[in-house]
Amino acid sequence: MLGKLMKYEWKATWKFICLANLMIAVMTILANITVKLDFFAYDKNDMLQFIAIMVMMTYVLSMFAMVIGVAIFLVYRFYTSTYSDQGYLLHTLPVDKHHIIIAKVLVYALWIILCELMIYFSIIILMASNGEVFETMADSLEGIISLTISDTVTIKGFAVVMSLIAFLFTLFAKLLKVTACISLGQLSANHKLLFSVLYYFGIYIIQKIFSVIYLTFVMALNKDAYRFEWYYGWESMLLSGIIYSVVFYLITWYVMDKRLNLE
Amino acid sequence: MAPIVQCMGLTKTYGRKIALNQIHLNLERSRIIGLLGPNGSGKSTLIKIINGLLQPTAGDVLINGHRPGIDTKFRISYLPERTYLNPGMKVIEVVQYFQDFYPDFRMDRAYDMLSRLQIQPNERLKNLSKGTKEKVQLILVMSRDADLYILDEPIAGVDPASRDYILHTIVSNYNRNASILLSTHLISDVENILDDVVFIKYGSIVLQAGAEQIRQNEHKSIDRFFREVFAC
Repeated sequence: MLGKLMKYEWKATWKFICLANLMIAVMTILANITVKLDFFAYDKNDMLQFIAIMVMMTYVLSMFAMVIGVAIFLVYRFYTSTYSDQGYLLHTLPVDKHHIIIAKVLVYALWIILCELMIYFSIIILMASNGEVFETMADSLEGIISLTISDTVTIKGFAVVMSLIAFLFTLFAKLLKVTACISLGQLSANHKLLFSVLYYFGIYIIQKIFSVIYLTFVMALNKDAYRFEWYYGWESMLLSGIIYSVVFYLITWYVMDKRLNLE
Repeated sequence: MAPIVQCMGLTKTYGRKIALNQIHLNLERSRIIGLLGPNGSGKSTLIKIINGLLQPTAGDVLINGHRPGIDTKFRISYLPERTYLNPGMKVIEVVQYFQDFYPDFRMDRAYDMLSRLQIQPNERLKNLSKGTKEKVQLILVMSRDADLYILDEPIAGVDPASRDYILHTIVSNYNRNASILLSTHLISDVENILDDVVFIKYGSIVLQAGAEQIRQNEHKSIDRFFREVFAC
């Protein structure tokens, strides 16, 4: 049943996501043309410079629009399919509630990864204006990886794999935080969506407090620079990603399975 | 055999408001049962609890001897009082959806009913009228070979001419070994197909009896009797 649930979640969401990615692809081509033809050069006339500025502004805005639009769309999709009228169908299907949550989170995670890759490649293509796409990509990947791996790490391959796993769990944690907050909001008698938003900010503040406590603990335990980098490295990302994923998953499952109240 | 539905002291409250008050109810197999009561009497609340969409505050409910869960959802075919299909889907896609999730779904039966109503399988649900959408939902629900059909206000939103078709569809398509629990406040339209009736008022069961028994004992139609019991 998990595969079937994923199939229908995919079918219900693919059009919007693909449209958003198509928009980025078109804007990347247009922005790349303005860069390649050097519309920004001083010797170009004002009209060409104006067009170039407008294209670049639209390009940047389209990036923001996609990130925000996809986030809102996925949140709306989860809410309507789970706790509004369509929830009457979903929750009367003979399927395990675990499968419902896993199917939704996996599909949403895949879409977000696709969108992030799209943005990444778009920026790389624009930056590699001399056609050195692969060199630019290699440089940027090294920069990204260095953010999560300490210089003192000797087995780089292992650390890279663990960083990717950590990224994945961080993504799951973020998605499950949203599903948990929407689910918790359903427990209130009125203003369910408002309470969902309040739960989100409440949990966000609690997470920040935990981060500060953890940082203080790490600093107090050992002032060694290597240990201190743990706070920013893949180790912390993985640990927090797993813990938060499990906690938010259990909250979502508990509400959906034990406290469901579709009024 | 044990009743298809057993409610034992079922209670549901919303804050201070009591929606269901200590319901004790057994629904027998192979019967068409009318769950009759005015708006706000607790019909939909009881139905949602049986379907696992609401959690009771107290008491218990068993369907085929099981609490609401995956086992019972395989055996219950439920029509809610609202449109629960994704409006972006085509009719053919929702038929496939039911086929994918319910092993007892009969696709040929669904397409037969759709063609008789001249509903195009490639039409998107959002392009259909409210009444047609309700007919599509009813067709999906009645195309299953379930043990228990639960139909919440199936005729409330449709015109009188369509009501006869809907009732005919219900009676001519359900699994004969199954029971139908039909909730409505439009008694006169349904009373001829009912075997048993359950009157519910302010969240309590005020009467459970055979339809024929009421007619004989009270010397009046169920609709007439209902109006007396629920007179304001």
